[in-house]
Amino acid sequence: MKIAVTVNGERYERDVEPRTLLAYFLREDLGLTGTHVGCDSSSCGCCVVAMDGDRAVKSCTMFAVQADGHEITTVEGLEQGGKLHPLQQAFWDQHGLQCGYCTPGMLMTSYVLLKHQPAPNEAEIREAIAGNLCRCTGYQNIVKAIQQASTELAAEPAAAAVGS
Amino acid sequence: MDPGIIGQSLARIEGPLKVTGTAAYTSDHTKERVAYAVPVGSTIANGRIAALNISKAREMPGIVEIYHRGNVGALYKPSPEAGAIDEARPPFADDVIRYYGQYVALVVAETFEDATAAASVVDVVYADVAAPNVELQLVADDEPAEVSRRGDPEAAYDASPIKIDRTYITPAETHNPIELHASLATYDDDGFTLYETTQAIVNHRNVVSEILNVPRENVRIVMKFLGSGFGGKLWPWSHGTLAAAAARNLGRPVKLVVTRKQMFQTVGHRARTQQRVRMSAQRNGSLTSLRHEAVNDAGMLDEYDENCGEATPHFYGTSNLLVTGGQTRRNIGSPTAMRGPGAVPGLFATESAYDELAIELGLDPVQLRLQNEPTRDQSLDVPFSSRHYAECLTVGAEKFGWSLRSPAIGSMRKDGSILGWGMSGCSWLAARFAAEARVELHADGSARVAIGTQDIGTGTYTVLAQLVAETTGIPIGRITVELGDTRLPPGPTSGGSMVTASVIPAVLEAARAAMKSAIGLATTLERQPFKGWSPEDLNFQSGKIVARNGASGKQIDYHEVLQNASVAMVSGGGKAASTFGEEHPKRSSHSYGAHFLEIAWQPEIARLRVNRVVTVIDAGRIVNPRAALNQIEGAVVMGVGMALLEEAHYDPRTGAPINSNLADYIVATNADTPRMDVTFLDYPDTKLNELGARGVGEIGLAGMASAIASAVYHATGVRVRTLPIDIEKLL
Amino acid sequence: MNSFTFTRARTIADALRSARGDVKFLAGGTTLVDLMKLDVERPAGIIDLNALPLAEVRRTPDGGLHIGALARNSDVAHHPDVVRDYPLLSQALLSGASVQLRNMASTGGNLLQRTRCVYFRDAAMACNKRSPGSGCAAIGGFNRNLAILGTSAHCIATNPSDQNVALTALEATVHVTGSNGERSVPIGDFYLLPGQTPERETILEPGDLVTSVTLPPPAPGAGSTYVKLRDRASFEFALASAAVVVTIKGGVMQRARVAMGGIATKPWRNLDVEAALEGQPATRERFADAAQILLSDAKPQSRNGFKVELAKRCLVHALSVATAVT
Repeated sequence: MKIAVTVNGERYERDVEPRTLLAYFLREDLGLTGTHVGCDSSSCGCCVVAMDGDRAVKSCTMFAVQADGHEITTVEGLEQGGKLHPLQQAFWDQHGLQCGYCTPGMLMTSYVLLKHQPAPNEAEIREAIAGNLCRCTGYQNIVKAIQQASTELAAEPAAAAVGS
Repeated sequence: MDPGIIGQSLARIEGPLKVTGTAAYTSDHTKERVAYAVPVGSTIANGRIAALNISKAREMPGIVEIYHRGNVGALYKPSPEAGAIDEARPPFADDVIRYYGQYVALVVAETFEDATAAASVVDVVYADVAAPNVELQLVADDEPAEVSRRGDPEAAYDASPIKIDRTYITPAETHNPIELHASLATYDDDGFTLYETTQAIVNHRNVVSEILNVPRENVRIVMKFLGSGFGGKLWPWSHGTLAAAAARNLGRPVKLVVTRKQMFQTVGHRARTQQRVRMSAQRNGSLTSLRHEAVNDAGMLDEYDENCGEATPHFYGTSNLLVTGGQTRRNIGSPTAMRGPGAVPGLFATESAYDELAIELGLDPVQLRLQNEPTRDQSLDVPFSSRHYAECLTVGAEKFGWSLRSPAIGSMRKDGSILGWGMSGCSWLAARFAAEARVELHADGSARVAIGTQDIGTGTYTVLAQLVAETTGIPIGRITVELGDTRLPPGPTSGGSMVTASVIPAVLEAARAAMKSAIGLATTLERQPFKGWSPEDLNFQSGKIVARNGASGKQIDYHEVLQNASVAMVSGGGKAASTFGEEHPKRSSHSYGAHFLEIAWQPEIARLRVNRVVTVIDAGRIVNPRAALNQIEGAVVMGVGMALLEEAHYDPRTGAPINSNLADYIVATNADTPRMDVTFLDYPDTKLNELGARGVGEIGLAGMASAIASAVYHATGVRVRTLPIDIEKLL
Repeated sequence: MNSFTFTRARTIADALRSARGDVKFLAGGTTLVDLMKLDVERPAGIIDLNALPLAEVRRTPDGGLHIGALARNSDVAHHPDVVRDYPLLSQALLSGASVQLRNMASTGGNLLQRTRCVYFRDAAMACNKRSPGSGCAAIGGFNRNLAILGTSAHCIATNPSDQNVALTALEATVHVTGSNGERSVPIGDFYLLPGQTPERETILEPGDLVTSVTLPPPAPGAGSTYVKLRDRASFEFALASAAVVVTIKGGVMQRARVAMGGIATKPWRNLDVEAALEGQPATRERFADAAQILLSDAKPQSRNGFKVELAKRCLVHALSVATAVT
């Protein structure tokens, strides 16, 4: 099937099999390997991308053809003009990662969280990332990183918007 | 040496790559003309393959080839000298099925989707199918080996007024790193280049080259970023061999990503253990004997020894001790090392028993431990290189507020919950693997350190940069770290929390050799300040060459020296031997720690949660405190999962690991995370290496399950000796 | 995954017309795509419903609530009318899955959510629900999280939904359209017990499409809650859950609605339990009596006997919270 998807602001027209999952389309067809796959049961969260800017979805649980006509933001789309997004900077600053494999999913989930709730409390942050498993960090520094980004985005609201 | 960089909480140097999605993990690599492989696993655990019907699969779109015993080509069992591997039988070596999920065929297709679809229609006909042996009760097949013995524990036990005799059981646990195991294999005139999810590139090369029967120098292993491993990615597994064999047969690159479900079947797990602990004491609390007898299950083809008594001989002060270990075979895939192998399940048993003994004695468990603290390693009869366990206990008790504990069961309440306070000690070995390293100082003012080790997520990239920055004074931002490639000087395995301790001597030696070259060069340059000086009179400080004693006030940047000499770089090599497994060590080296924690039990809804944990760790000098803290916090949360949640269940009829996904094998989520307060004592263990750093990867997990079990007993009066402590054990 | 054709339905009529042969409707996909990845579902065709105008949440003329079948779980959970008048439904939805899955999952899809029984979800295992006549491997197997109520010798799979437990306690009506026109079915009649045909889970016929769910007006002055018990603190299916709506007057329970999840083959409502509560004082003793009645027919399996006690505690706790009895 022919589809047209905008990914990180760039429009792609591709012919895909209906059974191709969005995660594999991003990784194999577009070469955007920052979106990871860690399970086969929608459980781990490392494939999370933002759909139409405001919905965090698991890209392993939808077909690429379902993204036809939609805008997808992946971890590669967060950095703007060579400058890390405040969330990226915060995950780095706060040691919000170890192996880094869950990081793209964590970033995209928190990216959407902060769009809807610019100043979430700790409980809200933990709830928002409940669908993202991390086996390394014990989560503490991930929460701290999201808090740091929330504070920084409040100081410079323009940085929150990506690709728009 | 320029002090300052070691001990700083630097952000990870590879951080920008990881937050932008540009860090390339194994399955992120790709090659022109890559084909995709999907293994087919057996759906029985005990029997043999009578026939493999692949005609239907062969007709599916995009099929390149389907490999099986008849066409995969020769694969060989590696020699023990090659290195470590758990399942040494090469894949497809015979038609016998020994565990559920054992690979029986490999489908290679043009796309991942094509390969997956065809794999689902490969039809395997089995014969001689028998009930699998997945029996939970563990009795050693042969006489258990005596691991350590001193004094007369039997007589001391019989003669003591206070004694306990308990059996503890730990389940099969799966590592479940979030990154799936994967392999991208290429084969050309130069041989194999294998992108592997491995914690040990050098071992992988040495073992796999024998399996594939090619010279070692014709195999290159690349692993730049690992989505963590926890031991599950230490040694080679069958899928990597199959990808390599397929790439060689086809003459095109082959990518294989193991599914999460297959990861419960074919890439190891923490062995199940059953441990009998007998302890005796005088009424005053003096420990008179300790017997720790463990049995673990192994696969049908391996010799896996969980070594539950790893910490027992040195950790406990008593004159009479026996540690044994035995194995029994089951129709399950090979177990393998998982974070803190041996000591983690072992300490659950011995530390739980210690808690039970304290209760029997009417003594505070901290007091009992302090009272029996040994002054030297009684098993080896050597001094400890550095042991501050007692301080871990006293500092932890103080920070936690342990003195406020009311010992009666169920006597502490808060916000409608019953609180349980528990504690446990922990220990993990410290040693070094052999390592070689190369350090280059470049004329542009940068430096490069190259070592064939790997960063499995623990921070090795950053530690290596810190070591070079500290030694040379070159800013950390100008240091490039190269690792994860067997073309580099051979470095240590990322296992046993030993990488940091292992790389220190080799990297420091390499950096000093490079600095010495720069100094030598400085003494040869015309019209330069140190022309004709003796190198012995010069020093390399903060990236500059200076006169010793600073008397002359002369100095020159090292890169100016190189530029003036028209030399692109100077370099040096370093090499250090292994201390791991020494038969007669002069000292006993280990890390120590203590956990104090609070659980909340709400019986009306059968809800058990860990509220807060205070952990104190004695792991020598801490190279990067934030990175180290992160290791301990992650381990503590993994410990919550180990204590309360994690268990791989094997179906008794089929032998299938049946909860083989991340929804049914439950690990701790962020909502299960307790408040954590981690302290490092920071006593350098300079007997182990010059900087005195040990390792922090595993110790934080040790002792967590026993601390939680003791807290659960304190709250509920139920002593759980079989992990995990699930709801049904408390109702 | 097998190959299939993919069709986007532009209208409901379009969808119904396309629903011939071995095809499946796709809404949020969190069940269907998941099961296709596992080879449990292998449809020849997919009809994507997401362009249909079925996502609306609005009041009904009688003061109840209409929830379109394509309304996302997250949107329903945060809808102001739901939060204010049906907090039970909001709580149930938010206790399920994770943010990302709730963003995708739809109301209608969740009504039809398939069991999480590991034997159903593994194409290599015997399962009468997936492959009628193949047997039930869960009986005698790993059945810790499976059902103790409503089971048969052919199936013990649990209905995993949180939403449907709340909808059952709220006495929702399911609206269906199909080749035989439209019909409305009380949720209590929507689900079938497994009996000898565990592959049939609802009264839906092939080609039927759930278009919406309606809720009756909220019971005035009622207290309600959803309690979900599980091993870990989040992102896990229920071992036992209870949705209760209770109206109290003068310390006496006038009206009680009770539905249970995690313990039964369908969202479980037992009218005897409600009868045992109504007219009685709101006390823990009466709650315990009702819990006893709820579990009197329980048939535990080899590894889920603890659910009898767990379900009792769950119900007693939910009733205590809803009636503010401590």
